[in-house]
Amino acid sequence: MKELKTDSSSTRRNFLRSGLRLTAAAALCGTGAVLVRKASSQEMVWQLDPALCIQCERCATGCVLPQSAVKCVHSYSMCGYCDLCSGYLQPGARARDTGAESQLCPTGAIRRKFVEPPYFEYTIDEELCIGCGKCVKGCGAFGNGSLYLQVRHNLCENCNECSIARACPSQAWRRVPAHQPYLLRGDEGLRGKRDGKA
Amino acid sequence: MLKGYSYMFPSARTGAALAILCWLGGAWAAWAQIKERFPKPDFQSGYIRPDLQTPAPRSMAWEMADIAVLAAALAAATYLAHRTRSRRSIFLLMIFSLLYFGFFREGCVCPVGSVQNVFLALFTPGYAVPFTVIAFFLLPLAFALLFGRTFCAAVCPLGMMQDVVILKPVRIPGRLADILGAIPYIYLTLTLLFAATGATFLTCRLDPFVGFFRFGATFPLVLFGISMLVLGTVVARPYCRFLCPYGVLLDWMSKLSWRHVKITPGECNNCRLCEDSCPFGAIRTPVLESPPPVGRMEVRRLAMQFLLLPAVVLAAGWAGAELHLVLARMHPVVSLAEEVLAHDAGKSGEVSDPVKAYRASGKPLAELLSEADALQGRFRTGGWLAGGFLGLAFAWKRIHLLVRRKSPWYDLDRGACFSCGRCFSYCPYEKVRLGLIPPDAVPEPPENNNLNGKNHA
Amino acid sequence: MPEDRKTLSVSPGAAPASDSLLQAARRTAVVAAVLAAILSTLMTAHYLQTRSADPLKSQALARLMLQLRDNPEDAALKEQIRALDLLARRAYFLNQWQIRTGSFLLFAFLLVFLASMKIIHSRRLALPDLGREPGGGSYWEEKLLARRYLLLLGTGLGLVAVALGLVSESELKKYGSLSARREPAGPPGATAGPDPVASPKQAASAFPGLEALQQNWPGFRGPDGNGVAYAAGVPAEWDGRSSKNILWKVPVPLPGKNSPVVWGSRLFLSGADKKSEVVFCFDRESGKILWQSELKDIPGAPAEPPRISEDTGYAAPTLAVDGRFVCAVFSTGNVGCFDMDGKRIWARNLGIPDNHYGHASSPLIFEDLLLVPFDQNSGGRLVALRVGDGSPAYEKRREVQISWASPILARTPARPELVLSANPLVAAYDPRTGEELWQVKCMSGEVGPSPAYADGMVFAVNEYARLAAIRLGAKAEMAWEYLEDLSSVSSLLATRDYVFNVASYGAVSCFQAKTGERHWIHDFPNGVYSSPVLAGGLVYMIDINGITHIFKADKTFQPVRSNELGEKTFTVPAFMPGRIYIRAESNLYGIGEKSS
Repeated sequence: MKELKTDSSSTRRNFLRSGLRLTAAAALCGTGAVLVRKASSQEMVWQLDPALCIQCERCATGCVLPQSAVKCVHSYSMCGYCDLCSGYLQPGARARDTGAESQLCPTGAIRRKFVEPPYFEYTIDEELCIGCGKCVKGCGAFGNGSLYLQVRHNLCENCNECSIARACPSQAWRRVPAHQPYLLRGDEGLRGKRDGKA
Repeated sequence: MLKGYSYMFPSARTGAALAILCWLGGAWAAWAQIKERFPKPDFQSGYIRPDLQTPAPRSMAWEMADIAVLAAALAAATYLAHRTRSRRSIFLLMIFSLLYFGFFREGCVCPVGSVQNVFLALFTPGYAVPFTVIAFFLLPLAFALLFGRTFCAAVCPLGMMQDVVILKPVRIPGRLADILGAIPYIYLTLTLLFAATGATFLTCRLDPFVGFFRFGATFPLVLFGISMLVLGTVVARPYCRFLCPYGVLLDWMSKLSWRHVKITPGECNNCRLCEDSCPFGAIRTPVLESPPPVGRMEVRRLAMQFLLLPAVVLAAGWAGAELHLVLARMHPVVSLAEEVLAHDAGKSGEVSDPVKAYRASGKPLAELLSEADALQGRFRTGGWLAGGFLGLAFAWKRIHLLVRRKSPWYDLDRGACFSCGRCFSYCPYEKVRLGLIPPDAVPEPPENNNLNGKNHA
Repeated sequence: MPEDRKTLSVSPGAAPASDSLLQAARRTAVVAAVLAAILSTLMTAHYLQTRSADPLKSQALARLMLQLRDNPEDAALKEQIRALDLLARRAYFLNQWQIRTGSFLLFAFLLVFLASMKIIHSRRLALPDLGREPGGGSYWEEKLLARRYLLLLGTGLGLVAVALGLVSESELKKYGSLSARREPAGPPGATAGPDPVASPKQAASAFPGLEALQQNWPGFRGPDGNGVAYAAGVPAEWDGRSSKNILWKVPVPLPGKNSPVVWGSRLFLSGADKKSEVVFCFDRESGKILWQSELKDIPGAPAEPPRISEDTGYAAPTLAVDGRFVCAVFSTGNVGCFDMDGKRIWARNLGIPDNHYGHASSPLIFEDLLLVPFDQNSGGRLVALRVGDGSPAYEKRREVQISWASPILARTPARPELVLSANPLVAAYDPRTGEELWQVKCMSGEVGPSPAYADGMVFAVNEYARLAAIRLGAKAEMAWEYLEDLSSVSSLLATRDYVFNVASYGAVSCFQAKTGERHWIHDFPNGVYSSPVLAGGLVYMIDINGITHIFKADKTFQPVRSNELGEKTFTVPAFMPGRIYIRAESNLYGIGEKSS
């Protein structure tokens, strides 16, 4: 300590330094090895499980995006095509029409189209949908549950920690493999699973 | 089959009639369930059901491209800092990184955040960490161990965001810098604790800059980001120096780096020109002043510090463990369990959404409680480790401050240096190297310093 | 600036600045800064404004919608709603556009400002003040100060951590110690910790035997919930209009769809509305209310009852009584237990039943356990609480959908079995442990009728599913099924030889119990929601208009009498020797031969 530039102290210091450097390198390699053993080549993306969703409306406000990446989707294979659609109409609505006073959706994002008596087709306009899930609640309570919320991956930023997942009261959010990024219902869901496995 | 119902009894009215009656009555019921209440229509008009569109996420090819770009950017930054020694090139690379990793890729996963995924993977059996994340975690560290923090020089979009706003940096006094330098350790410890227990990704939640990349964030975070940038005009890269948890790891690696950039390409003659060139306070001025003589007191003091180290670590670990109930509340399961119990005990009036969701799930309380209990146990262990680590870090830092570093030349604090290359052009020997001035134009050191001589390193 | 800086003519920057560029940069910087400041102020104000008034949650719109509900045909109101709704939507999307455009603009201004500032500052060099002492003369002092501050910071953090740790308390830990004290060996609580209003150690006298149960009417559809009365001399004739054989008629203070239960001289039932949940005890000789006890201040009870169908009401489950305790379940998930004198022994909340019509399954007391069926939309459970103190004994998860049926106790030669019917299972459990004994998948839809047991066979039914006869034995198997005129509300009645099924529109069918052959079907004029009861070889069945049809439990349809009560009835009467007690829509009737 007294003499700084003595050969012995400098060698000692260098020796110590390379020893520590080797240790650090070994630690990095070790962590890498452990991680690789736990790793998966799959990317993971966020998705919400419609079975756990309670339609608390936080998906509409929790997203980092100004307009949420969560949208209502429609499994046509499950839909009853009802005239009196509990996902489309306000509870207690008298008229089954497209008037604003009859519609449940706050942004008018559900389109109602006559198919044949007595059936009506309902489609979601995702430009307008804010992912609040009001229609999902209606459809699930008195309909077949063919309307439900899903993250649309063309919009999702796939944040490392999804801020909606953090806000979700029912822990319905989880990471799913990127090659099978939706948790769909009905025939759509079955098809998705088949495609995912293939 | 149904006769006129003026009255509906609770039970057993299957199917449509009841549902519709209830619906008209405005009875607003339970959670969405899959129920085939209405049969699938048999269309006569040849109507075909539309397909449900499922847009794919960003393709895997991009993830691979990200790793490739990261590796290339790191290599380029290293080359530019070590070989070309050109601040201008580093600045251009920095702009590229900011555009690519920041505004184009929009942030996630970034190496800073990847620490959390790695810890989650290490401590949670069910979580498989993607290769991209591993690459993002390891590559910058490996480069730092070999060549110093070239990642910070020109690759990290968070750093770049702050680097471009540096306008009039002020020098932070040594003691203040030392104390502020302790914050990243605390932040890292909490981040790792919450990540390992699966509670939350703290660093991601409090990331001040990612909102700029996405043009969207919660208002408080935007405010935090803006204040960081405003502060960054005078305190250079405040997040990197006094918050970044990943910076702690990079600091360690860089301290031990195999090759590190130097201010001067050749020798130092203590001309003092570079003294104020580093906005990050990473240039250490020579210490020639003779320290107070090392007496028995000092030796004893140092010995005491080493002897006390285990006690300090244990005490800090105990303090951390004491805190585990508070920390565990960050975990959604624990907070849910507490909320449910508080609600059961009649302490909270309104039923919160999580409690509602829990009640609807039909999950037995015993199961929830045992999960929460196990998590509290993990937080207790985690608290011991976290406290112990922080205690060790503080104690070690204090010992380090007691050690008498004596260095006769201007050199870089390898841990703190971002290899940004700002100081290079201040050095007259660099000018000589570039052929801008002849070797004999190197200025003599000023008279009034006693730093004579040359460093023939 | 110190003199020596000029002598050191080292310029890391580019060519010397032209004044015009510097001027322009300065001006640009000022303009960009001003614009950015204005824009950010505007955006902040905008944020605060939209946060306080979300256009999609417009109060005015909600008010108008409420008005529309009252006047559904008001065309002007509709127009107003449409206009306001359009406005709200426009405002929302405009807001989105404003935020997006605003942030892009702000970003651009800041970029310009930054670039100009960079140009300005690139002309300034940061060269050291060489007049200053190099190397920081106070090097050691700085280090010592840093050490001291670090020590302070570290100690401070540690102390704060310890203090917080000592102050913090977890509900979880409290609960843990509580349940550990209460039941050292038992499993941790099934739901909320019971509320010790009275001493949990109620002197638990021995539970009543089968004989005592059969001498009383201890729950929904009598002893074991099977719809069989063991009482003798049950009246067969009465008339509510002429008061013939009506001993007394008293109004029930609160509505409820639960049926009366009887123990000894006391008759119990419950009533509830949105605000209160009350258990009533009547003197069964005079019809006077002996006591009434409101269930309130229960930990975890919801402030408001769940939204349910009015037709189910807030007090649909029938009480269970065993001579020591009387227990009540309500639509809120509240369970209360009282002693025979109305003193509350314990009460707790099992969680709000997730039931879109309202919880209706009745509990059953078996030995020392109160068995509460809890099949909800979100999954099925069978909750067993110790009747003496409300502590959880076990909780059995059931893979079934929501149901409104009540459990029955099947006393097979081998063992008592608790049988529950729901979609898709008819299943039996060991009432003491909750262990599943058998299950048969044969139900579907929203199951309302309760099953019945007689002579080694369990019968279950639901409309659109089937009437299923399950033969118990080494393996429970479906013996036969029948698919027409099935019950959707009314529970089954089974004897050794016959099974009676009452469709809700009034069609009663009688089957041979062992073979499934349909002996007869008879259409009664009114619908039926009550369940048939067998007493003295006769079947008593009340339709919704309060007319009790009495017919023989026999191979052919042999009507005995029809007695009018003059009031709508949806509940099951209680049968005691010489007496029948009927709870009609708003009155309770005591029926028997007047001793004159």
